[in-house]
Amino acid sequence: MKKILEIENLTVSFDGFKALNNLNFSMNPGELRVIIGPNGAGKTTFLDVITGKVQPTKGRVLFKGKNLKKIPEYKIARMGIGRKFQTPRVYLNLTVRENLDLVCNHNKNVFSTLFKPPKSVESRTVGGLLETIGLEAKANAPAELLSHGEKQRLEIGMLVAQSPDLLLVDEPAAGLTDEETENVGALLLSLAESHSIIAIEHDMEFVRQIANNKVTVLHQGSVLCEGTMDEIQNDPKVIEVYLGKAPSITPEQMNILRIAVSMAWADGNFTPEQMNVILSRLSREFAIDTEHQYSLQQELQNYLAKNIPLEELVPKLKNFGEKERVLKLSYEIIRSNKMNRQEIEVYQKLLKLLDLPDDIVEQVETEIEAKYK
Amino acid sequence: MNNKIKKQKKRQKIIETGIVIGLVIIFAVILPIVLPGFRLRLLGRILSLSIVALGIDLIWGYTGLLSLGHGIFFALGGYALAMHLKLQIPEGQLPEFFTLYGVKELPGFWHPFYSFPITIVALIVIPGIVAGLLGYLVFRNRIKGVYFSIITQAALLVFFNFFNGQQKLINGTNGLKTDTETIFGMLAGSDSVQKIFYIITVIILVAVYYFCRWLTSGRFGRLLVAIRDDETRVRFSGYNPTGYKVLVFGISGAIAGIAGALYTVQTGIITPKFMEVPFSIEMVIWVAVGGRATLIGAIIGTLLVRLAQTFLSESLPEVWLFFQGALFLIVVTVLPDGIVGWWRTWAWEKLSYMLGLKERIVTYPSLEENPETKQEREQLSDR
Repeated sequence: MKKILEIENLTVSFDGFKALNNLNFSMNPGELRVIIGPNGAGKTTFLDVITGKVQPTKGRVLFKGKNLKKIPEYKIARMGIGRKFQTPRVYLNLTVRENLDLVCNHNKNVFSTLFKPPKSVESRTVGGLLETIGLEAKANAPAELLSHGEKQRLEIGMLVAQSPDLLLVDEPAAGLTDEETENVGALLLSLAESHSIIAIEHDMEFVRQIANNKVTVLHQGSVLCEGTMDEIQNDPKVIEVYLGKAPSITPEQMNILRIAVSMAWADGNFTPEQMNVILSRLSREFAIDTEHQYSLQQELQNYLAKNIPLEELVPKLKNFGEKERVLKLSYEIIRSNKMNRQEIEVYQKLLKLLDLPDDIVEQVETEIEAKYK
Repeated sequence: MNNKIKKQKKRQKIIETGIVIGLVIIFAVILPIVLPGFRLRLLGRILSLSIVALGIDLIWGYTGLLSLGHGIFFALGGYALAMHLKLQIPEGQLPEFFTLYGVKELPGFWHPFYSFPITIVALIVIPGIVAGLLGYLVFRNRIKGVYFSIITQAALLVFFNFFNGQQKLINGTNGLKTDTETIFGMLAGSDSVQKIFYIITVIILVAVYYFCRWLTSGRFGRLLVAIRDDETRVRFSGYNPTGYKVLVFGISGAIAGIAGALYTVQTGIITPKFMEVPFSIEMVIWVAVGGRATLIGAIIGTLLVRLAQTFLSESLPEVWLFFQGALFLIVVTVLPDGIVGWWRTWAWEKLSYMLGLKERIVTYPSLEENPETKQEREQLSDR
């Protein structure tokens, strides 16, 4: 399949500062790609280069196989790239309908804009768009009277009116209420059915809502990693970038923690007792001294929110000792509150995956049972 | 609901056309009979100035580009017509000022101005092209805001100095006198010819006004507003703003050229003084006083400021400059949208309450007038 967007060895520097550094990126038609990254990672510059606002210092950007170098912004827009800005940028002194109508115009030359009356097809498109973005009642109100969320929706509507092949959306959820965020998310998902979309976002909740495919993480101007949402969230590099430091535990220890967390989430209910067991047990096990134990406990809390399937985690366990540790911890977690059916099911699955001799399992279980009696 | 809006619009249009026809009758038929010759000439000059104000409203009010150099285009139009009048002499003779500087042969660029039709075309096209060219160089490099204003003012100074120094070409600082010349065999300064100039001015003012209305009412006009509000967004929507800005600046310059020609023949002389900096800034003040992006405001502003200037400088000559300064301060601080803007957003609202044209809203206006609420209410009453 031909890529809709390919970026090769892209470098953009401003007075020696490399906003983008040797970045490689590619995307298939029809994809909805979410790009995340901490502040200053180069996300907005990335969009600037694609839309022609900034010229690459090195490397090239190919849109549908065509190099975008030295093509002015308006021509790139006509080729089929639409961009939504971080803060809603609509024409405040025009009405909602006029805003859409301007973008809908099929022939954007000076003279045809001046002399040709709007086509009926175009006004029908505008009518349909008003409905899609839910601003029919305010169609004749100046855009300056709209609320922030309505402006966001209007701008997305303007993008669609341009009928682009590739939509670039810069933080569409910024400054919206939860309900509005969900509306915008649903709007993006429905647009993704017929457009390729690149969305830049900070709000992880929102990313989880819309990321049904790949997520790309940018850091210091290049791609840090790429993968599904789950892969991204467990990548120690990403955690380091987002939390500002590397996890102080080893990957093996992290793996044990993850399995424990999955056990705790088994019934869809992470109780405080379970959290307590995990944090106290693991920090005691991983730490060198009591002081470290306390700080570790704080850190581990950061990793508790992610629930990853056991099938991915268990095979990474290296030796018998680790497996035994996992078993002990897991049984204690489900034992710490009242056991229920789901938890037992997951526990059975774990046993099967661990594939430990029966006598050892029995030994561990009785050991812990004794503690609770 | 749509029909209702359409009917309302139609009614509004009829009322408006009525008002315009009424005003044209008053200005073009009644005033020439009532006013003495020199007053009429004064009014004609003020009306020609309001034409250039319309041009400034296009480029500044709608497109958001503050030009401080419209004196160039104004003077170019004036010079074009004045040169034609200067050439109303027997074949083979030169306009008398040339002999002062020992020029024996008519400079080449004067020749086309023997012809009246070419002169009319030239006084529109030359300022238009000069403006378009200047605009192209500036806008192509994405110069805007204050820098655009400074460049137009610099260009104004360049033209001023050039015209001032060229005695052998266009009589330098002395300018071209038109009052004593003839046009179609009649003395340009005579009362009857002046009356014709006046009536032509009124007609052209109305024509230019409607032309500007047409330009700004459709998609093109909305795009100008869009360029003013957010040029980057316009670019990312697939429009190239440069072309639009060049065209509007060119049109604005052409309108200034027409105004300059009319002003020149009703003043009786054109000199490089028309290209002095304060005069071009004054043009901007007229638009600001009347109200930006309203068109009618440009005309009203010019009339008010210029009439006030006339009466004040007749009775209290020393007060006028203070008054002009104060006026500008008041407009900037109290009426940022000018007189027409103030009328539309504030005064008309109050007046319609007082006359009972509109119901006074007792609850929160934002709630009562919310389109969504209105739509709901209508749907309920339909049932």
